[in-house]
This record gives sequence, C-alpha cells and structure tokens, in this order.
Amino acid sequence: MSTYVLMKILESSPDRYDRGIRFLTLGQLDEAYDRLTSHIRPGDRVLDIGCGTGALTLRALARGGVVTAMDINPAMMDVAKKKVGAYRAEIGEAAGDMVFLEMGVAEMDDLETGGYNVVMSGLCFSELTDDETAYALGHVHRILKNRGMLLIGDEVPPGGIFRRFFYMLVRIPLAALTYLVTQTTTGAIKNLESRVASANLEIESVRRHGIGGFMELIARKRD
Amino acid sequence: MISYILTWIVTRFVWLLPLPLPPRLVKIGNPGRSSPVLVTCNWRLTVRELSYRLRREDLYLLVANSRGINVWCAAAGGHFTHHDVISIIKTSGIENLVDHRTLVLPQLAATGIDPVYIKKKIGWKAVWGPVSARDIPGFLAAGKEATDRMRRVEFGLGRRMSVALGWAAQLSIPASLVFVFVNREAILPLNVLIFGMSCALFMAFPLYERFLGRPSRGWGTIAFGFEQGGVQLVLWGLYTAGVVIPAGIIGGETVLFFFHWILAGLVVTLFLTFDLAGSTPVYKSVEHEERSFTVVLNVEICRGTGICTEVCPRGCFDLDRVRRKIVFARPDDCEQCAACIVQCPFDALSFISDRGERILPETTRTYKLNLMGKRQVRAS
Repeated sequence: MSTYVLMKILESSPDRYDRGIRFLTLGQLDEAYDRLTSHIRPGDRVLDIGCGTGALTLRALARGGVVTAMDINPAMMDVAKKKVGAYRAEIGEAAGDMVFLEMGVAEMDDLETGGYNVVMSGLCFSELTDDETAYALGHVHRILKNRGMLLIGDEVPPGGIFRRFFYMLVRIPLAALTYLVTQTTTGAIKNLESRVASANLEIESVRRHGIGGFMELIARKRD
Repeated sequence: MISYILTWIVTRFVWLLPLPLPPRLVKIGNPGRSSPVLVTCNWRLTVRELSYRLRREDLYLLVANSRGINVWCAAAGGHFTHHDVISIIKTSGIENLVDHRTLVLPQLAATGIDPVYIKKKIGWKAVWGPVSARDIPGFLAAGKEATDRMRRVEFGLGRRMSVALGWAAQLSIPASLVFVFVNREAILPLNVLIFGMSCALFMAFPLYERFLGRPSRGWGTIAFGFEQGGVQLVLWGLYTAGVVIPAGIIGGETVLFFFHWILAGLVVTLFLTFDLAGSTPVYKSVEHEERSFTVVLNVEICRGTGICTEVCPRGCFDLDRVRRKIVFARPDDCEQCAACIVQCPFDALSFISDRGERILPETTRTYKLNLMGKRQVRAS
C-alpha cells in the first residue's frame, strides 16, 4: 500500500478525535460521561486529568463546577478551549471558572493539597504507564478533599474468556478502522479497581458496559 | 546483538507502525551516582540498538514514552515532548540513583522537547546528545561535546539500504497477497523486482541530491509528479532492458510475457517512488504545497546564542562570533523540521508560508506534523 495513497485518504487532526472515539465506543461514551458527571454539584472544584478535547470538562462546567483541565497535548486542548468559548458565548458567561494547564500527571506536585471536591478522567488512565498511574493516583488522594470523589470512565479488559473473545472479535476491526481514519486509538487498563483501592481510595460503584470493555468507576476519599 | 538484529528484521516489515517497549529505566553496565543519564524513545529498534552500541558504557538509559515511535518522528509529531521526559524522570526513581541533575537528550527530539521547561519544572539541565547512537560513546568520552559531524543527519549507504528494505516490504506484503490468488508462480520474481527496484532507487539517491533546490524543469513533472528529475524512468528503462535482452537471447517468451513484466516494472517503480518525497532526509515533500513553509531568520532579534547551530540536523546555520549573530548560510539544505524555531529562546526564527505570512513560533511549538508529515496548521 503506497503511503501516498494513504496520505490522500487520511489526514489526522485533533478535531477528528471526537468522531473517532465516538465511533470506536459505538456512542456509549457520551452516556457514560453524562452519568459520571451527574455527581458534580454547583460550586465543586473539579480537576479533569487528560481533558483532551474537553468532553468531561464541558459537562462539569454545565453542572456548575469550577474546573481545572490538564493535558499534555496543546493541540487537543486548543479544541477544548474553543468548545468552552463557544459554550460560554451560548449561555452568556454564566459558566463556572475555568483553567487549562498544559502538563502531565508527573507534574501534579503543584496542585493544591485538599483543593478539589472532584477529580475526573476519561480515557486517560489507559494511556499511562503503570508507574504513571500509581503516581497520579497518589496525587489524586492528596489533592482531594475528605469525602471528595474520583470519577473514571475508561477502557478495561472484559472479564471471562467468552466475553473477551467476543470483545476482541468486535474490537479489533473497529479499532483498525478507527485508527486508519482518525489515527485515534485507546488501550485497556488492567486492574483499575485494585489500583484505585491501593491508592487509599474507596470504591463506591463500578459499572461495566455491554460486553464489558468500558468501565465507569466512582471512588471516594475517606480519611 | 541477537535481539538487535531480530528487531531490525521485524521492523523491516512493520515499517510504518509503532512498535513500543514499556517505558522504564534501563541500567547499562554498572552505573554509579555520577554516571550519565540518557533519554530515548520507546521504539523497540532504537532501544535495542542503544543497548548494543552502549554495551561498554556505564550509564542510565531512560526509555520515555514516545508511543512506540522513533525519536525524530515522535518529536515532530508531538508524541515525544518535555512532558514525557519529566514523566519518566519522576516515575522511574532516577532522582534517587544519581547525585547530578543533567540529562542527555537525543538531538533529533529538539523539534518537540523544550529543555527550558524541564529545567524550570523539575530542575534538570538538558544537553543535546548526538544524532546517531553510534556517536554516543565518543560524545561521552569528549565530556558531552558533540562535533559538527555528530550533529548531522547522515543518510549513508547502510542506512539507505536499511530503509530500502522496509520501503520494499510495505509493497511486497500486499502485492504477494494479491498474487496468491492471481498467479502464484509470479510471486518470487515479483518480489525480486520490488526489492531490487527499491534498493536501486535508494542507491541512486546521491544522483538525485544534485537536483535538490533547483526549480523543476518540467521533466520531473512529466515523470509522474516527481520534482527532481526522472531517475525512476531511467531505472525502469534499465530494468526493461534487463528483462528484454536476456529473454530475447534465450528466446521462447511470448509478447504477453514481455508486456506483463514491463508493466509490472512500471507499476512497482511508480509505487515505490510516488511518495518518496518527504519520507527521507534528502527530499522535501511536494505534497503539502499550501503548508510548505520556509524558515526565516530575523537578524534584529537574534542574539547569537548558537542554539540553532547545535540542533539543526542539516547544518544550515553558522555562528558569526564577531557580530554575535547567526547566519542562515545554507537554506537549501533546510528540511523544515522546525527544531531551530522551537528551540530559539528569542523567537528570532519562524516559518513563513509561500504567501509570505509569518507563523508564530508558539503556533509551531503547539501544532505538530500529522501521520503524513503534514503540518497541522495553515497560515491563517
């Protein structure tokens, strides 16, 4: 296959990411994010880890949260900034305060201890290495207020042989197609629950989707 | 050594796909508290090559998360940044193992990594190591000083052949699969043609280089949109002669046989050369005309720090020590990799579009190249 031909078909760019992910998750993602962010109350200080193009950030703003959004990819974050700008114009500036930080999880030292009611993350932990995940969760515990919440929506390997086989059957062609069209892909994070628990965060609820490739996890800090 | 060779063979066939190793800290030899700390990408082949080339050294190698892509491509595409470097430093425990705070970064990552940010954020000072892994021992022995030669991207015969095989493999696999159903006997000669033609094309590169920077004379355009002369036509002609003459001497072949193989030669040559531009350190791509930018130097702002002379992989810049200014001496050699723009602390360098619009250095730092080597920013 000539890369020239590929080049003509494919042009990746951050604004394609949303479409890619929507396709890859067969539209389930929006509902999952809606459910997760429904726990945010007006005035909550919220941190969005790996905000990407701002899917969770916008929802948290709409719930009246005061959001800090962080990501290492400034081009993706530009898309999020544009969306937030458009949203604010639409509702007439009544949206909560908003800060964007270009940084990775290894740079969370600067964030205020006990400064957040909610930490949320969508499809970001699955992109981190094991060491980064442990590092990030340690900081999540530090920056959450007591009784503060951690909300994670991410891809996990499904449980059970049959489920796993069926999941692979659907997943592999879907992922290949999505990667070709948008250069977007996601990986699954293993043992998400035990990792969260070992960071001293108490798991409140876990919801797996359909064939089990996506997890919504809610945990709380209790000292 | 064995794993390096095996990885090299595998990467010929997965030429265009990421092939990651887990990001981690690798101890090479017996490093102590003052041993050098090097950073690299997590493309499997790079890590294997470094382990082999540095086998006589004592140092720490931090394999950062570049999403399984080689240093230059990952940095240019925004997949290997200062955030990834900070992450591997903070999460690998290297800070407890050494007393110093100096990093050696691969020079080709200069288009994506900001050493000033790293210094400000976590206090580590970065120096640019050489382009090529084989120069690292010499660089370390010289007290982390690189010669001008170490700062250049070379595209020598060995490397060209290495690329040629990967280049051929990406055509060989689909073509062979098709011919399983069409004509099995033709698979072997077809692959000989594909690999042979690819090697011939890359061997002939020094012939092309002479045409670089010259305006197209129409010949190249006639030769299937290839800007720098119809060398592939010449090669196809040679190949055709190579098929016709021996077959003519031996005899017994049909007209259809000649037609098939001469056509196959043309198709293969086209496929191999079509997208060569922009895929190597020799050619500029002619694909993205609307985003083909030119680097310009604003001499007024320049203070002659010489950082650009250090990070430019093509040696385009000279430092005028008397005037304390940079001279953009060899603009024709520029590849638009943007390392100089990204690294200049005074924003004295920037891209301009062919319509003369200036692209702010900040924009160049934010918007990288996509999978196809296209800058994701238009002059606006």
